[in-house]
Amino acid sequence: MEIYLPIAEMSVHWLIILAMGGAVGFLSGMFGVGGGFLLTPLLIFYGIPSEVAVATTASHITASSMAGALAQWKRRSVDLAMAGVLLAGGLVGTSFGVWLFKLLLEAGQSEFVVSAGYVILLGTVGGLMLSESLQALRAARSGNPLPSRPAQHHNWIHGLPLKMRFRQSRLYISVFPPLVLGFIVGILSAIMGVGGGFVLVPAMIYLLRMPTSVVMGTSLVQILCVTAATTILQATSNYTVDILLAGLLILGGVVGAQFGVRIGARMRGEQLRLLLAVLVLAVGARLLIGLVVTPEDIFSVTVEGQ
Amino acid sequence: MRAALLALVLVLLPAGAGAEDLVSGLSQDQIQITSNYTGSDLVVFGAIEQNTGIGDEADTNRRDVVVVVRGPAAKMDVRRKQRIAGLWINNREITLSGMPAYYYVASTQPLTKIAQPDMLGRYQIGLDNVKPESASTHSSLKAEQFRQAVVRERVRTHLFSEAPNGVEFLGYSLFRVHVPVPAGAPRGQYTAEVYLFKNGVVMSAQSTPLFVDQIGLERNLFNFAHNEPFTYGVAAVLMAVLLGYLSSLIFRQPG
Repeated sequence: MEIYLPIAEMSVHWLIILAMGGAVGFLSGMFGVGGGFLLTPLLIFYGIPSEVAVATTASHITASSMAGALAQWKRRSVDLAMAGVLLAGGLVGTSFGVWLFKLLLEAGQSEFVVSAGYVILLGTVGGLMLSESLQALRAARSGNPLPSRPAQHHNWIHGLPLKMRFRQSRLYISVFPPLVLGFIVGILSAIMGVGGGFVLVPAMIYLLRMPTSVVMGTSLVQILCVTAATTILQATSNYTVDILLAGLLILGGVVGAQFGVRIGARMRGEQLRLLLAVLVLAVGARLLIGLVVTPEDIFSVTVEGQ
Repeated sequence: MRAALLALVLVLLPAGAGAEDLVSGLSQDQIQITSNYTGSDLVVFGAIEQNTGIGDEADTNRRDVVVVVRGPAAKMDVRRKQRIAGLWINNREITLSGMPAYYYVASTQPLTKIAQPDMLGRYQIGLDNVKPESASTHSSLKAEQFRQAVVRERVRTHLFSEAPNGVEFLGYSLFRVHVPVPAGAPRGQYTAEVYLFKNGVVMSAQSTPLFVDQIGLERNLFNFAHNEPFTYGVAAVLMAVLLGYLSSLIFRQPG
């Protein structure tokens, strides 16, 4: 049955949307990621306007991070002070990002910026993941485990002012690094429709040096709140959240994730990361092709205030 | 301008001696589009009444009927991409005001055989003659290029179409046209115009308004999103949070 998406203004088959949500949910369950960086490009490939894809994916991430955040909350593995500082940066970041996105929309450049942003992001993240997982696999084959990084007790971050105690992370650091980190992830959420876990988690571990036990919970709470804020801001300033599309994607996504988690548990970490890296690079390459290949029609039409 | 011309035709023409009179009507003067719908027809029908006496010369002269349905005027931003450093980027934008958002023309034979281009242009008949009221450029060449882009885009989405043999005659004077109205047809005031051409000249014309409205859940959601955007955003978040929470209840991991 065809349904008409009121905000995307196109007819789609509801089963295809459900299946897309399911597939992304499956992959995000399997790899333990939010999946926004896969869902937004997938929606764009399907023909959903990029501004709608970005805003609607944000609400999808809200739903998919909800269950995880709840579970972590019950386990008390959330550093509330850290989440609060990250969130303060995140809310400013997403407000700025949505405002910037509105300017891009009006200038007719949102589509290009979203695609180009994804090419850069997916290329970088995918490339890093690929080289890292290949090294790990090679090391595992030759029998020499990789030396773990030497613990740096004092990096430049410790020299910054306005220090604050984060009891649960057992850290005493400046508020600026988490504020800036939150800000950057907030912008990413607004412009690319991602939760930003792939930036947030490594930065929390390697830059802020938070204990891994609280990283998952704290990042999930931050992602949940920032994507919720992004959804509301996109809806109010750009009218780009398609609630019908979001509902279908979420339904498919939550079911898909359950299967993904089960399959992922049976696979080895390095293999999983290699697979994810290839997937990320493939999506990035597909978007790059879209930017390079001569379009069918070099003109595009937008009707004002329909 | 065009409306004034049409009015002039309406006033002047039927009075002419020996002229053929036109009557026409619509199957509905209100169309309600529901989102799940794949498309329906509006039927424009009519008859050519003959006022002439004996010695009718109509048989020797070619009569043609043209039916035009126009949607509400819209403001369109048309952008052109250009290759910059190997990447295709929008870099020129022109706004066309007063283009119809929907346009359909049906005729008894291809338009070029019915009348001269200037005649068709005067009444804006045919996809080549759908013109904006104004364009945000002084170059008429550019405006034409961007206008054609709008026509291409509208034809692709089935909002503009031409049916060169779309007027169906039932007998000598009765005719009928099926006008397709696709799901994406914008809401607003439309006009259905019927022209009677004889030897390349408009002999008679009639214009009837109709209203297209979008109804159903999807339209209500669209209105909700645009009239109460904050509440709509909060509703979207609540839905997401609720579905996420429910999923964690349903799929609770054992242990």
